Amino acid sequence: MLTVDHVSVRRGTTVTLQDISLSLGPNRTLAVVGESGAGKSTLIAAILGLVPCSSGQVTWDNAPVRRCRPALVMQEPRSAFNPRMSLRRAVMEPLVAQGMVADPDRLNALCHGLEIAPDLLDRRPTEVSIGQAQRMGILRALIAKPPLVLFDEPLSALDAVTQKHTARLIAQMQHEEGFASLIVTHDLGYAAAFADDIAVLRAGRVEELTRSQSFVQAPQTAYGRMLRDAAFTLGALEQVA
Amino acid sequence: MIQLIASLLLRAAVVLTGAALATFALLWHAPGDPALAIAIARYQAVVPAEVVDQVRTEAGLDAHFWTAFQAWVGPLLVGDFGQSSVTGRNVWPELVTMISYTLPLALAGLIIGLLTSVPLAYVATRRPGGWLDRCAVALASIGAAIPAYWLGLLLILLFAVQLGWLPAMGTRTPAHIILPALTLGLGVAASLTRILRSGILEARGQPFLPAFRRRGVANRDIERDHVAPHAAIPVVTVFGLELAFLLEGVVMVEVIFARPGLGSFLVSAIEARDFPKVQAVVVLTAVLFVTVNLLIDLIYRALDPRIGERDA
Amino acid sequence: MRSVGTLVVVLVLLALIGPMLAPYDPTQINIPHRLNPPSLEWLLGTDALGRDILSRLLHGARWSLGLAFLISVIGLCIGTVAGLVAAQGGKLTDWLMMRVTDTFLAFPDLVAAVVIAGVLGAGTGSLIFALTVTGWMRYARVARGIGLSLQNRGYVVQAKLAGLSPLVIARWHYLPSLLPSLAVVWTGMFARAILGISALGFLGFGVQPPMPEWGTMLLDARIHMRSTPLQMIWPGLAVVICVLAINLTGDALRDALAEQKDQKGTA
Repeated sequence: MLTVDHVSVRRGTTVTLQDISLSLGPNRTLAVVGESGAGKSTLIAAILGLVPCSSGQVTWDNAPVRRCRPALVMQEPRSAFNPRMSLRRAVMEPLVAQGMVADPDRLNALCHGLEIAPDLLDRRPTEVSIGQAQRMGILRALIAKPPLVLFDEPLSALDAVTQKHTARLIAQMQHEEGFASLIVTHDLGYAAAFADDIAVLRAGRVEELTRSQSFVQAPQTAYGRMLRDAAFTLGALEQVA
Repeated sequence: MIQLIASLLLRAAVVLTGAALATFALLWHAPGDPALAIAIARYQAVVPAEVVDQVRTEAGLDAHFWTAFQAWVGPLLVGDFGQSSVTGRNVWPELVTMISYTLPLALAGLIIGLLTSVPLAYVATRRPGGWLDRCAVALASIGAAIPAYWLGLLLILLFAVQLGWLPAMGTRTPAHIILPALTLGLGVAASLTRILRSGILEARGQPFLPAFRRRGVANRDIERDHVAPHAAIPVVTVFGLELAFLLEGVVMVEVIFARPGLGSFLVSAIEARDFPKVQAVVVLTAVLFVTVNLLIDLIYRALDPRIGERDA
Repeated sequence: MRSVGTLVVVLVLLALIGPMLAPYDPTQINIPHRLNPPSLEWLLGTDALGRDILSRLLHGARWSLGLAFLISVIGLCIGTVAGLVAAQGGKLTDWLMMRVTDTFLAFPDLVAAVVIAGVLGAGTGSLIFALTVTGWMRYARVARGIGLSLQNRGYVVQAKLAGLSPLVIARWHYLPSLLPSLAVVWTGMFARAILGISALGFLGFGVQPPMPEWGTMLLDARIHMRSTPLQMIWPGLAVVICVLAINLTGDALRDALAEQKDQKGTA
């Protein structure tokens, strides 16, 4: 269980996150939505310990979160891979770090689940499509069976068709693997369709934290309503609800 | 801004302390017995062990490293460079005399370098890739590959030995400075030409210049207001390098031309194992070098507003 | 990178095969034939002790080029490690590491090398030490600069999250990106080492006679400038040709790298 307990992050004199508290259990999905600059990426960095918290703490089952070896899926799939390294080697990194060898059955199962043709693994990141690279990113994230996976705008670099496909694959993998997933996105439609809960971030604070269904139907705050209306003006509301 | 200057000053202080410590440690751990060397230098003969021990105590060579370091740095902070371990005379007056020989040489070298490289770079960049440009680049490349001591020897060979036009060794007449200064200056010119040339070319490539030209601004004004200042930036930054080049060149040139000065002073002090003198020259060089680089850093930031305070 | 490869091969061959091509023993003293002008027997003449200058030049390549290669490669290793430690360590490590680098940069490097070699006493060991100690800082700065720029790349963050050790990350993710730039620095430092070795040799602080090192040869030849001026030309020319070849290779490499970056930028 991920616990974010009154976390604040300051850089110099500017406060980028203020008093954030969240929790997330296995097999659950929490979507963090908000405008650019609301502190979504900082939240991910703080959870992963990439930036220090100036107060508060992040734990997984009462231990420092890095101990559970959380995985991250990045927004730009290509830059997440070393251009000089084959995808196979890159994907294996989490296993190598733990001194483990890849279980071929698991690799095959994951490839099958993520619809990756096995021969793609021997290519370089620049030799596959963006969508394929993102699925490779998910593969790398899942290979060492992490209990917690963070997704930083996992769809925004993809085109519309690939977005839908990838979103469905992520949900399917979660169903099979049972990890807790925290998805940072500015795509409310995606959040509403796939997340159990939605946290609205605004200027470094949690403005609203509700079930995604109830958020779509009736946001509790004016800002939440504004966000929802902006996202669903094109009649997508009926589609989801 | 004040914070930036403070951090740069702190940095310079740390670096100078480190440099002093490194210098002292090197000389402290130098092989051989400095006391014996001093004793021999003083008495010009084989000396008994008691005399050597006496010299050791006098010169403070039997002290602990840190004690000795403090005993050296303390007076140094108020400008006391100590005494020569061989002659016992104060180092500072000698150092001043040596500077009075070296400074004109270095300045003359720098002026020759500037007078050669600025026109050369300007002419070369009139038509980039043209034959003048290619000649300038080739000259600069060859110049950068010629060691100062060889160039000096060649100049002596040509102008002093073969042609007999110019004097080579010593400092008797003003004409004696010509060959050494030329040796230094041509080296400076070689590196400056390259830097100036690429600076000017880069400055001419600035994306907003064509717009000025289309609006009818005279070429001369563009060169003066937009190309020259921009091309000056890399020159300012390499001034530290040029200073290093001059100081290194001075050592070699003074030795070759048998001129008194900081360089030949340093070399003869090393050979005599007169370590207080060596320390004095090294510290002086470091102070000069660090100060100039500090100034360059500040000027650079002033010239190029894009370099923010983040690099401090 | 290919041009650097070619250069290395040529210079190594010169240092290895050069001595085999030498017609005479470079240290064989032959007083009756001292200070001979170039002739068919002695292609470049003989020096003050009657030793064949061509043989000494060819053997000298081993000293000048071999030592310079050694010195520049040791500096490369030290500097790269220092730079990567600074880039991967925390802010304090970085600050300290860079101040150490600045301290070594607080002297013009040849002046420092002269002092170190002179104080430690003439000899090959102190020559190598002096030029290495004063020749690693530029690598460190370049390695740190690129290292810092890589720090926030996606794949480096991923490697850190995966829990790879800093050493493995350095080996897999930093070094391959560093190598081209380090190669450019290396060419410059190689040339600098050649100049440094001969300068120290010329001052009498470097390789000791009777070893045929180019700077030492120049020091010997200087005394006989009036009678046999040509003797002074050869060792200097050898230095200039080597340094020029290395510098031109470095320039070509740097241009090639810049072009590659441009292409990536526009793509």
